[in-house]
Amino acid sequence: MDNRLSLAEKSLFIVGYIGLLGFMSQQAQGQDSDVPSEAGLSLVDADIHQRWADDQAIIKYLPDRYKDDGLVLPELLYRNPGEFLRQDEVTETGDKPGTDLEKIADEHLDEFDIDYAMLTGNSWFNLAALPNRDYAHELARAFNEWLVNDVLPVDDRFLGSLYVAPKAPEKAADLIREYGDHPQVRQVLLPGGAEVPYGRSQYWPMYEAAEEKNLAMAVHPFSEGHGTSNPPTGAGHPNNYIEWHTLLGGYYMGQLASIVTEGVFVEYPDLRWAFIEGGYGWLPHFMWRLDKNWKGLRSQVPWLEEKPSHYIRNNVWFASQPVEEPEEPEHHDYILEMMHADEMLIYASDYPHWDGDDPEWGLPPMDDEMKKAIRHENAAELWDLPTDGSGLE
Amino acid sequence: MSTMSNKRFEICSDREFEVGERRIVDLDGFSVGVFNLDGEYYALKNDCPHQRAPLCEGKLGGTTESDTPGEFDWVKPGQVVRCPWHGWEFDVKTGESAFNPHKVKAKTFEARVEPAQAKEESTEEGCEGCGVSLEGEEPPVDTYEVDVEQGTVVVYL
Repeated sequence: MDNRLSLAEKSLFIVGYIGLLGFMSQQAQGQDSDVPSEAGLSLVDADIHQRWADDQAIIKYLPDRYKDDGLVLPELLYRNPGEFLRQDEVTETGDKPGTDLEKIADEHLDEFDIDYAMLTGNSWFNLAALPNRDYAHELARAFNEWLVNDVLPVDDRFLGSLYVAPKAPEKAADLIREYGDHPQVRQVLLPGGAEVPYGRSQYWPMYEAAEEKNLAMAVHPFSEGHGTSNPPTGAGHPNNYIEWHTLLGGYYMGQLASIVTEGVFVEYPDLRWAFIEGGYGWLPHFMWRLDKNWKGLRSQVPWLEEKPSHYIRNNVWFASQPVEEPEEPEHHDYILEMMHADEMLIYASDYPHWDGDDPEWGLPPMDDEMKKAIRHENAAELWDLPTDGSGLE
Repeated sequence: MSTMSNKRFEICSDREFEVGERRIVDLDGFSVGVFNLDGEYYALKNDCPHQRAPLCEGKLGGTTESDTPGEFDWVKPGQVVRCPWHGWEFDVKTGESAFNPHKVKAKTFEARVEPAQAKEESTEEGCEGCGVSLEGEEPPVDTYEVDVEQGTVVVYL
């Protein structure tokens, strides 16, 4: 460490602790990056949002009966005064951040030595909040056509998330089987918000198809509180976006409790699931409470062969963004330890959204083993990625 | 903040730099945002103390103040820049953070239009280019002096 860094560190210690975390993280990363990991991977990014500049990119893949309708989806009515997309990432042509796929590859993947990036699409595409099942399903199909024809060929580090309409689970299962063999497709993405919790058996055909095709299931925030979805918090519709965004973890707790207790992972033991952008600081509480209650209430869920946290630790992964920022930096280590982050946490940037975490500055400092697990090892497990440089198959 | 050792950088003619406009310039490796607010020029280090984002490229507007829950005023129109990552707000004139002015402050630089004349003084201390922040009396994210010198907008670092 040279003098400049020492000075920086002193200054940082006084204020902006997350800056300190980032700074120390970068120093440690600098040491790491000289040592190739056993896996041969450096960094996997679990959440990058690609989108289209012109709706015609999707409309052209809609069946004729919907071409005149175009794209009509419920919008988030909560506002962000600083905008939802990073204003420093507007493209050279003035289009929205995320529309220029080459820019994602050149300025994000190249820049930060990212081996694989899970593309999670346009989270304004609120398929779960649409009332009409057939239209929602055809929108999902059109999105997937765009994904495999126009997005994934741009860069072989791109991983694809299929979209499906949760209200049409049988058709969704067909879509998963139809597109699931593409080597870059590694995940099926559900909107975080839906009409009924994701543990219900009506959804299971999707899970069966995902397990069959060796794809992960995932949830990412969209559709919460929009259109036909439930309110975005258990308490109802909040007043501002600050509540909506803060309570995404609460919504995810509802989905996770449903998925685990209804026995999804008993029925589909090889199914892997990612919870993206809902936070992770709540996991110790959640797992402890679920296990504690299971001891007395096991008879309500006798199909669970193990305590509930067993299924979370074995079948579920959590994306890091938005990273937790405790008052004392060292408390972050406690969270990681308590939640078993070495098994479950994966790095995500959420590029190019406003609340993203920078690959260099976003992750707090942590020991090297934990860092390797979060930067790439857990992601390789979740998406069954090659760790020997052999490429996707 | 002007001192005798400041380094002088010419930005452009003041006639080309309109009210409400901002420019992001590279001054000896420092990325700096120069703003024209109502005819007065201000300069702010383009580096957020949170995650090192290009702070000055965010949305420029006003902000809110309130002394009663549910009631608020729209204040400082055009004077507050929001970091494009995470939305932290900073007053362009002072570099102060809206949520914690005593602990998080953006670095501002002197910016003015004045006759061509070398000025020398530095408001930089230690930690060159590291973009980190300081607590208390000193501005963690620097502001810099801007002058208009014979029709040229000049920033002093």
